[in-house]
Amino acid sequence: MTDTDVHPPQPHMNPYLAGFGLGLVLLTSFVVMGWGLGASSAFATCSATCVAAVAPDYAAHNGFFSEYAGNPLKDWLTWEVLGAIVGGMVSGLIANRSRLTVEHGPRWSRGKRLIFAFAGGMVMAAGAKIGGGCTSGQALTGGALLNLGSWVFMFSVFAGGYAVAWFFRKQWI
Amino acid sequence: MDAPFFKYGLFSDDASLLAAFLIGGGFGFFLERAGFGSGKKLASQFYFRDMSVLKVMFTAIITAMVGLTLLSQMGLVDLSLVTLKETRLLANLVGGLILGVGFVIGGYCPGTSVVAAATGRIDAMIYLGGMFAGMFVFGFAYPTLQPLVESTSMGQVTLPVFFHIPYGILVLGVCLMAVGMFLAAEWGEMKVAGVSLESRSLLGGKGLTPARMVIGGLVLAGLVAAIAGDPYRGSKATVDTKELARLVDGKADHILAPDLADRLIAGDNSFRLIDLREPQEYARYHIPGAENIPLPSLDPAALPKDESYIIYSDGGIHGAQAWVLLKAHGLRVYSLFMGMDGWKDEVLNPVLPAQPKPDESAVVAKRLLVARHFGGTPQTQGAAVPASTVPVPVPEPARVPAVPAPVNPATAPAPADAPPAGDPVPKKKKREGC
Repeated sequence: MTDTDVHPPQPHMNPYLAGFGLGLVLLTSFVVMGWGLGASSAFATCSATCVAAVAPDYAAHNGFFSEYAGNPLKDWLTWEVLGAIVGGMVSGLIANRSRLTVEHGPRWSRGKRLIFAFAGGMVMAAGAKIGGGCTSGQALTGGALLNLGSWVFMFSVFAGGYAVAWFFRKQWI
Repeated sequence: MDAPFFKYGLFSDDASLLAAFLIGGGFGFFLERAGFGSGKKLASQFYFRDMSVLKVMFTAIITAMVGLTLLSQMGLVDLSLVTLKETRLLANLVGGLILGVGFVIGGYCPGTSVVAAATGRIDAMIYLGGMFAGMFVFGFAYPTLQPLVESTSMGQVTLPVFFHIPYGILVLGVCLMAVGMFLAAEWGEMKVAGVSLESRSLLGGKGLTPARMVIGGLVLAGLVAAIAGDPYRGSKATVDTKELARLVDGKADHILAPDLADRLIAGDNSFRLIDLREPQEYARYHIPGAENIPLPSLDPAALPKDESYIIYSDGGIHGAQAWVLLKAHGLRVYSLFMGMDGWKDEVLNPVLPAQPKPDESAVVAKRLLVARHFGGTPQTQGAAVPASTVPVPVPEPARVPAVPAPVNPATAPAPADAPPAGDPVPKKKKREGC
C-alpha cells in the first residue's frame, strides 16, 4: 500500500464536533420525518422478505417475518442505510481512510477475527431484535427523545460490553 | 411551521425515500468522520483507551434532544407526533446486554458496520453477513422468544413522565450528566491509556476551543430549555389518519361490553374507566369503577400517557369522538362499543334465548351470571327471567372470571338497531350534540 505512504489517512474529526454533526442529522430526521435514525431493521426487512419469497406460508404465520416482510425498495430504513453507505464512502475517500483491510489486535489472527466478526454479527441481530433496536434506533434516537426503554437499553449495552470485554481483549489490544 | 413535515403530509411516501437517502448520507458521513469505520477504535471504548464512542454518542444525543425540545417549546415542532418506541423493560434490558456482548465480539454495531464495510473493512462485511444470518436464526426462533420480546410492555413512557420531573429540567440534567461523563472519560483516557490532553478535549487546550464552545453552547441551550416550559404544550393534537384508520380497521379502537364486563369481574385494574356523561347521569347509574369526567371538561393534557383508558358515553358516538380526541394526544385509549347502550343491552339486560341450543348453553349461562353480577335483569324473549327458572346448569359464580372466552358478538343476539360488529361506529368529529 504505497498509497498510504504518499497520502496518509487524515486524523479523525474532533469527537465532540462529529457528535454535534451527527446530532444535527438526527434532529433533521425528527423535524422532517417525525422519527429518528435506525439500522438493524433494514436487515430484518431484507431477511424477512427473502423468507417470505421462499416460504410465504411459513412467513405469514411467523410474527417476526410477517412484521418485517415487504418490498425493501419501498422501505424507509433501507434507503437510509443505502445513504449511510454512500455518506461513509464519501467521508472515507476524502480522508483517505478507505482501504481493503481487516482490523484486529497484534495478538489475534486475521482468520479468528473474521470468525468473530461473523459471530458478533449474529449475536447483534438477536440483541437488536429482542431489545427493540440497535445503537442507532434505540440508544441514539430514543436517548434524544428521553425514552425510558431506550435509556435502559443504552446502559445495558455498555454494561454488557464492559462485562465481557476482558475475555476478548486479545482480539483488540 | 407544521413539523414533523412528513407527518403533516407535506410530502409523499416516495419523496420520503429520497429524504431517507439524504439523512442516511449525513448519518454515514459523520460516523465515518468520527472514525467509527474502524472496529479497533470502536472496541477501544470497552478498554478505556479511546472514549470516542461515548463522546460522539452523548454529544449527538444532547444536540438532538436540546434542539428538538427548544423547537417544540417554540411551537415549531409537535413533539407528540415524533415516533417514540414502546418501552419493554425486560426486553430492552436483555437485548441491550446481548447487543453489548455482540459489540465486543463483532467489533461493530449495525450502523457503524455499514460505514466500515463502505470503507473497505473486510471484517465489517463479514459482520454484516453474520447479522443477516442472525436475522434468519432469530426469525425462526421468534415463536419461542416472542413472550420475552413482548413482555413488560409499558407503552410509550418518557423519563420525565416516569420520574415525574418536568421535561425541560430533565433535558438540562442529561446535558450536565453528559458533561460529567465527558470529563470522567477524558480523565480515564489520560490515566489508562496515557493520552495527552489536547485542544480537542474539554480539559486540554486554552480558551474557547471548539469542543468547549460546542458543549458549553449545548449546556446553555439546555438551561434555556429548562425554564421554557413543557415542550408538549404546543401539541396541536394532530391526527395520524393512517394510524387511526388502521386501528379502527383492526378493531383496536374499541372494546365490546361483554369483554369489559369480564375484565371488571376479573379485577383487572390495568386501565382507567372514564364516564364521559353529565354528573347527574353518572350519579343515576354508572359502570362500577368508572370515574366521571364530563366531555366538556375532558383535558387530554391532564391524563398521564403511561396509563390506558376505556371511555364511554350514552351511545357510541360521543365515546368515539372522544377516542379520536384522546388518540390525537397520543393516549392509549379504547371506546366502549355502543357506550352505555351497549353495556345495558349486552351486559345488564341481554335478551337471551329461553331454550338455548346445547352449544349455546354455556354462553347463555355465563351471560346470566354476568348480568346478575352487575345487578341487571336478563330477558328471555321480552320477559325477565326469574331466578328460579334458570334454564341450564350454571357454573359456580367464582368460576366466571376464569372463563377466558369472551362472548362472541356474532352468536349473541344483537339489538335490532345496533350496527354489525364489523362496522365500527362512524367517527365524525363534525357531528355535534347527541
